[in-house]
Amino acid sequence: MANPDAARTAAQGSDMLIEFNEVVARFGSLHAMGPTTLSVRRGEFLAIVGPSGCGKSTLLNMVAGTLNPSSGSVLYNGKKVDGPNSDVGYITQKNYCVPWRTVEGNVRMPLELRGMARGEMDERVRFALAQVGLTGFEKAYPKQLSGGMLQRVMIARTLAYGPHVYLMDEPFGSLDAQLRMRMHAKLLDLWQQTGATFVFVTHDLQEAITLADRVVVMSRRPGRPKLIVDIDLPRGRDVVDIQADPAFGAYVKQLWHALDLH
Amino acid sequence: MSGTAQRETVSFWTSLHTGKYFDSLIQLTIAVVTLLLWEWGSNALKAEFWISRPSSVAVELMRWARSGDLASDLRLTLMEAGVGFLIGSIAGALVGFTLGWVERLGKLLEPFVLSLYTLPKIALAPLFVLWFGIGPMNKIMFSAMLVFFMVFFTTFQGTRQVDRDLVANARMLGANRWAIWTKIAIPYAAIWVFTGIRIGLPYALIGAIVGEFVAADAGVGFRIKEATSFFNTAAVFAGLVVLMVISMILLGLLKLIEMRALRWQTASGIIEPEVTP
Repeated sequence: MANPDAARTAAQGSDMLIEFNEVVARFGSLHAMGPTTLSVRRGEFLAIVGPSGCGKSTLLNMVAGTLNPSSGSVLYNGKKVDGPNSDVGYITQKNYCVPWRTVEGNVRMPLELRGMARGEMDERVRFALAQVGLTGFEKAYPKQLSGGMLQRVMIARTLAYGPHVYLMDEPFGSLDAQLRMRMHAKLLDLWQQTGATFVFVTHDLQEAITLADRVVVMSRRPGRPKLIVDIDLPRGRDVVDIQADPAFGAYVKQLWHALDLH
Repeated sequence: MSGTAQRETVSFWTSLHTGKYFDSLIQLTIAVVTLLLWEWGSNALKAEFWISRPSSVAVELMRWARSGDLASDLRLTLMEAGVGFLIGSIAGALVGFTLGWVERLGKLLEPFVLSLYTLPKIALAPLFVLWFGIGPMNKIMFSAMLVFFMVFFTTFQGTRQVDRDLVANARMLGANRWAIWTKIAIPYAAIWVFTGIRIGLPYALIGAIVGEFVAADAGVGFRIKEATSFFNTAAVFAGLVVLMVISMILLGLLKLIEMRALRWQTASGIIEPEVTP
């Protein structure tokens, strides 16, 4: 990324960037999640897996500031989150492209909102689009793109402004298997280059193990962390080779049993 | 016969069947046949009094044009409709956007909006005579009112449906209140304003014509009414033909503007990614 030090310079104070303290989410009478106590280290790649409806996305929403906990508190950088958190980049399966802007214009939007100088904007947009392999599609409109490409526009848009935290909610769900693997490799590069913190929600165990330092397994609703596994695979991971590692298989097995989906 | 010649023949026929010229040809045929049937039917059924016939309508049109009245009638009616259209769409867009975007305001005023929606606006025509007299002002205001409601309702309903997630997402990207307006709300509402304007445009003309029916001494609508009272069916149809042509020109213009302003909507085709790892 253009500013690899951004996340590190922001690193002040505690080792923990995000802290969930006894967080509970209730939607009406539905007790969806918690109480959850969980910390995310600065610069860490944390994956969260769990059955559908266990409140994985809810956790991300609370960090992004689009949802308040029913009880408990969420701290970001030591401060309580209230209101949209512009320090994070949130990538979900839903595409938030504005339809009246071109690919380029969409990627540019957060930069405009931050009042960036034109030259730097152009530079960043070009870089971000190149990172996700969308060079040449700058002038296309969202309507003209496939789901997978829109997803990559969303990733490029987040990349361009280089947030300190990437919240990703099954971002590759709509991509085909090959593209998915390529995006995993890209994501690992990005993580290594930026030193940003990643919180990655998925229900794909292989994906979680390939990418993460730690994997949190959530229980069934009301979801709460059931098991936290340190993924002790060497970094500089190759997304294909890693699957052949015997330890990889062992992690899959361990997580699968913890998920207990029967 | 050589192979190439044969291929050319085939491709000529194929292009004739699939090309746009072929469709235009069919459409032209339909139009001509309709006119011929009308002319013939009018004679055969001795119904000229009721439905006139194309040749008489054409004669009437010529007479109207030669007298110079057509030009002045057109000018008047178009002026009334045009000014009314401008006033109505600007006011409709502003009010619709405000009520649609400010959720609380929209909820509060919804019952009133609905009660106005169900009111047949045409019924207000006599009242407008009372308010604005029988001059052009009456028709301008009447057509402005009709257009206003079309643009207002469309903009209002459309703008309230703005994806609030999109707004929350923009906030997360760092948008403040002002930026939400300029970068999300207004471009989003523009889509609906345009839709409203497209629906409202014919109403501008309806407003002017109805206004002229009610009370006037010139204009296309007045000519139609006058011709009816003299049982001059051909002149009535001549008036209708003129109105039809105007409407088609107006809609064509609007389409042109829309295509430029909303290029992102009209951009077509799915772009497939090349494989770039």
